[in-house]
Amino acid sequence: MTLTVAEPSIYVWLVIILPYAGALLIPLLARAGRIRDSVAVGFSLFSALFDLLLLLPVLQGQTVSLQDSVIPASVPWISALGINVGVLSDPYTLIISNVVAWVSFLIMVYSVSYMRGDGGINRYWFFMNFFIGNMQLIVLSNNLLSLFVGWEGVGLCSYALIGHYYKDETKTWVGTPGTRALGEEQAYPPSHAGMKAFVMTRIGDMAMLIGILILFIYSGTFDFKQLAQSSGWATRLSQSGLLVPVALLIFGGSIGKSAQFPLHEWLPDAMAGPAPVSALIHAATMVKAGVVLVARIGPIFYFALSANPSLIQPFFQTVAWIGAFTAILAASQALVGFELKKILAYSTVSQIGYMMMALGLAGLSTDFTMGLSAGLYHLMSHAIFKACLFMAAGALIHATESKYINEMGALRNRMKVTFAAFLIAAASLSGIPPFSGFWSKDAVLSAAWAAGQTGLFAVGAITAGLTAFYSFRMVGIVFFGGKSHRLDEVEREGHAVRESSPLMWVPYAILAGATVLIGIIALPLNLEGSLAWASNSYLVSLFPNLGSLPAYSVAAPQGFDLVSAGIAGGFVALGFAAAYVIYIGQRASPTRFVGATGLMHGLYTFLENRWYINAIYYKVFVDPAISGSNWLLAHVELGGLFRVNNAGVYLGIAFSSAGNWLDTRVVDGAANAFSTAGQSFSRSTRKIQTGVIENYILFFAVGIAVLIILLLWASGVTLL
Amino acid sequence: MDYVSLTVILMSVSSLLLPIFLFDPKRREREPAYFLGVVLAASLLMIGINTIYPAPGTIFGSLLASDRLGGIFALTTLFVTLIVVIVSTYTKRGPNTPAYYSLLSFTALGMVLLSYSQDLLIIFVAWELMSLPTYVLAGFNKRSMESNEASVKYAVIGAMSSAIILYAISLTYGLTGTTQISAVVQALSTQPLTLATSVAVLLFVTGFGFKMSIVPFHMWIPDAYEGAPIIVSTLLAAATKKAGFVSAIRVLLAISTFYVLTQNPIFTLPNVFAGLALVTMTLGNLAALTQKSMTRLLAYSSIAQAGYILIGFVIYSYGIQNSAFLREASLGITGALFHIVNHAIMKGVAFLAAGLVLLQLHRGDVQAYDGLSRRMPFTAITLSVAFLALAGVPPLSGFWSKLLLFLSVINGPFAWLAVAGVLNSAFSLGYYAWIIKRMYLDEPETAEKVNEPYTYLVIFAVSIGLIIGFGVFPDGIINFLSGAFTNIAPH
Repeated sequence: MTLTVAEPSIYVWLVIILPYAGALLIPLLARAGRIRDSVAVGFSLFSALFDLLLLLPVLQGQTVSLQDSVIPASVPWISALGINVGVLSDPYTLIISNVVAWVSFLIMVYSVSYMRGDGGINRYWFFMNFFIGNMQLIVLSNNLLSLFVGWEGVGLCSYALIGHYYKDETKTWVGTPGTRALGEEQAYPPSHAGMKAFVMTRIGDMAMLIGILILFIYSGTFDFKQLAQSSGWATRLSQSGLLVPVALLIFGGSIGKSAQFPLHEWLPDAMAGPAPVSALIHAATMVKAGVVLVARIGPIFYFALSANPSLIQPFFQTVAWIGAFTAILAASQALVGFELKKILAYSTVSQIGYMMMALGLAGLSTDFTMGLSAGLYHLMSHAIFKACLFMAAGALIHATESKYINEMGALRNRMKVTFAAFLIAAASLSGIPPFSGFWSKDAVLSAAWAAGQTGLFAVGAITAGLTAFYSFRMVGIVFFGGKSHRLDEVEREGHAVRESSPLMWVPYAILAGATVLIGIIALPLNLEGSLAWASNSYLVSLFPNLGSLPAYSVAAPQGFDLVSAGIAGGFVALGFAAAYVIYIGQRASPTRFVGATGLMHGLYTFLENRWYINAIYYKVFVDPAISGSNWLLAHVELGGLFRVNNAGVYLGIAFSSAGNWLDTRVVDGAANAFSTAGQSFSRSTRKIQTGVIENYILFFAVGIAVLIILLLWASGVTLL
Repeated sequence: MDYVSLTVILMSVSSLLLPIFLFDPKRREREPAYFLGVVLAASLLMIGINTIYPAPGTIFGSLLASDRLGGIFALTTLFVTLIVVIVSTYTKRGPNTPAYYSLLSFTALGMVLLSYSQDLLIIFVAWELMSLPTYVLAGFNKRSMESNEASVKYAVIGAMSSAIILYAISLTYGLTGTTQISAVVQALSTQPLTLATSVAVLLFVTGFGFKMSIVPFHMWIPDAYEGAPIIVSTLLAAATKKAGFVSAIRVLLAISTFYVLTQNPIFTLPNVFAGLALVTMTLGNLAALTQKSMTRLLAYSSIAQAGYILIGFVIYSYGIQNSAFLREASLGITGALFHIVNHAIMKGVAFLAAGLVLLQLHRGDVQAYDGLSRRMPFTAITLSVAFLALAGVPPLSGFWSKLLLFLSVINGPFAWLAVAGVLNSAFSLGYYAWIIKRMYLDEPETAEKVNEPYTYLVIFAVSIGLIIGFGVFPDGIINFLSGAFTNIAPH
């Protein structure tokens, strides 16, 4: 029997409110230098401490219930619609919230040093704090509506922070200026990248909003628990054939925010922002918002139709396969990248694909908890090792003044701490035991194995091999081999390449330590079991009578599946060996392997150009929009009006034949006004004599005419 | 005597007294503004008390009724007029100042009367009382060609729409023998459907549509807003436009409770509203995207917002005759009222901010906004908040009113309108974000700081407070507004 500990509800609210408060203080302290920096970091720390306070009982295997204090756990928001805003406190939510809080805090500490001397530091602190508040709102919200508020908030912050280097100097561009695919420029200035992220995620958001609204109409609530506990809506939705479409519309938001195929193209270019922004928003937290959303709606849709969960299977199939496809798509692109942060970005997209796959598998296997907890496990371990990789990458870029891995090289002796942290995190990313990534990836793959989804398992296992290859390709090129010419140049100019300041390396060293620690304790402390317990508690908090639901069943505890781990491990070993031979041992030349022409070279170009998806998007959506807008300006504003006029004249003629009384009353009235106006204009000034007002009046008259003709038609009066 | 009649009398007297300042050359610059400001503040107070503690019943025979609906519109329009008066002390100088304030006072009186009117005749009189002074005000920069042009265009089209309304009224009178709206509704509901009734209704739609800036009766708007003194444009966009909506609600929605336009299931009143709503929001947003002048951009965005508001008309006129949709009808009309109030604040403050930029930088093109955050930080943040609210970004006020509007139609035959609305909002963020990007991310031509007068800052602060306040705590205002529609419901 699980014990329940009561905690004051204000703690949860403070986790959300404190970062917002910090953000609001920043403009007031704009000139206060050090105090401002401490406030920015301090408020994220306070928020994280309250979060930890809530997590402590969870770590002891107890659940948390909220006791109303100061701000109740659920506050009426719009009473006319019966909408409340409130917070959750189940173990699953609290674990995610703590990952967000502590990773954010470490990145804020790192930022103090990384962003020192930056002209836009006030803006930076404001949006970072504002972001953390919004992210906590997404994670802790107990309803879709306030989740959506946070959702839009993080989008805004992401946009502002990607475009942080808004002056668009060439060195801050993402991509190599001049590279083209299908004639489309493949390098973008930060402000363009920000806009791209904004527009692409916005497409997903709109789908999500429509989905939420339809769901509300059918269920009358936005609240997760109320949705879970009243199932009539699901039956009605499925009767009108909207059940899967609505779930997929909401999932559209996830696709956009978490950069899944087909809306994945914004994330690689979002790397135009400062490294800590990439670490926090585009690796560790915001991009996980989509995973959180699926974890929210997945169980609700799955159990709502508990009598017949097979109706919702297509939704989970889609989620799982989009995840799997995105995983292998992005991993393949990472194989050939040369921009350090961009490789990491592809890898982020790919790893989130695993999480989506896990959540999709939840609905495809007999035991829903298994996929849910595998998703959580991978989310947690990925947040830690990817934040570590990004911060280390920031340090590398800082030190070498280059964003390209082939302009680094042989850094293992000069930046020892960074090397160690990067190596550990890369190993974790590759899924090499005993680091955390090995266990979490194994959890996802064994869930696929156990569910009998061989296709998904195969894609996941192959992707694991690719991941190992590109991870150690990075490690090899950056830290081993010979020094690059670029590095020689930098050193000749007198910038010694050396370890970053402790304020920078301590945060990522801590995260590297956490990766190791989780990896070591995973088996002895049965971490997987604990996470399964947390997931199960989450489901129970939604469905108090979970055990009696027909769709609910518990599979026999899997433990460690040797077959699935063996197959995945084989691929990882293969990828690792290849990367080791080529990049660390330097026993084979990748250039000779790819060649200048032929199949391998074609494949290389294909991957380098992101499967041409990005270029095609620009060709199909962006270029026509721009030329269309220009066309609109040139033709509709000037030329188009005259065409409308002509049409208006014909309509006017048709209209005047409709009847005499109409003719004299309306058309003559309009025509009189028209001619009087014309005369008075020509007398008063030549400038007004542009003929425009005639257009307007005619337009007005045409408007009335159309309405009246429609009226006559609809009333059955035939025109002459 | 009740507060509404007191207000009407007070404002009439003030409108007539204001020109007296013309005869005192020493006191005609600022004193008229102070005088009118006090009058408007007193009126706001009285109307406010009357709205919260209503003295039910009719006033002036049965011409006016002091209900909550009227109170909401009177408060909104008076609030905007008061801000216009306050800000005018910065922009309006010269010998004609007393006349300017007198005209403003007349317009305000017209809008208050219109808000409360219960009779077609008083609607027409108030309509003219509101409109005629604005024709003059639009041309008040008498040496500016653009201002003259705006005034003439506005007046010509305004006269046309007045003629159309009058014609509709005369048709209605001919059909029913009364001009009292409730009696008209009573009489029409017992008559068989005739073509003449339908023509009258459609003429009301077009006549009011001109003020509401409904496509295709919108074409004067960009020119008038751009040419008129920008402070007058504020009045036109944020106040007189709302008066168009209240007339439409009073007349058309009352008729819609029983009335079907034609026996044809396609050409019905809800469908007409729906078509107009779709065209209005889409065209407004599309056109706004390519504008190079700030006032024109605001004008087109104003048109687009009218499209969203019309969604409330669609679902009300549909739901009131389909008992299954009564809840949606009340939701939709509450959303429309909320959006009208929000729009007055959002668009009003956006125009004021643009006016301040024009006043200080003497430029109205969007390039003038490059790097504005460094030159006029408070103006830039105000514009950004107003724009985000206009685009419907949560948790600002505009999000909730749009949410109510979209929610009210997403179920049922007008679901496509909700989808169009959501897509339009998403699309509109494109041009709003573009301006915000200019203000914050682009380099200004000069880094020189520009003075931002305290009067403006106070108004900016109040407006931002309302936008965020209504956004974070929407409950009170939504409950208040949803109570406004009880007396328009079926008889």
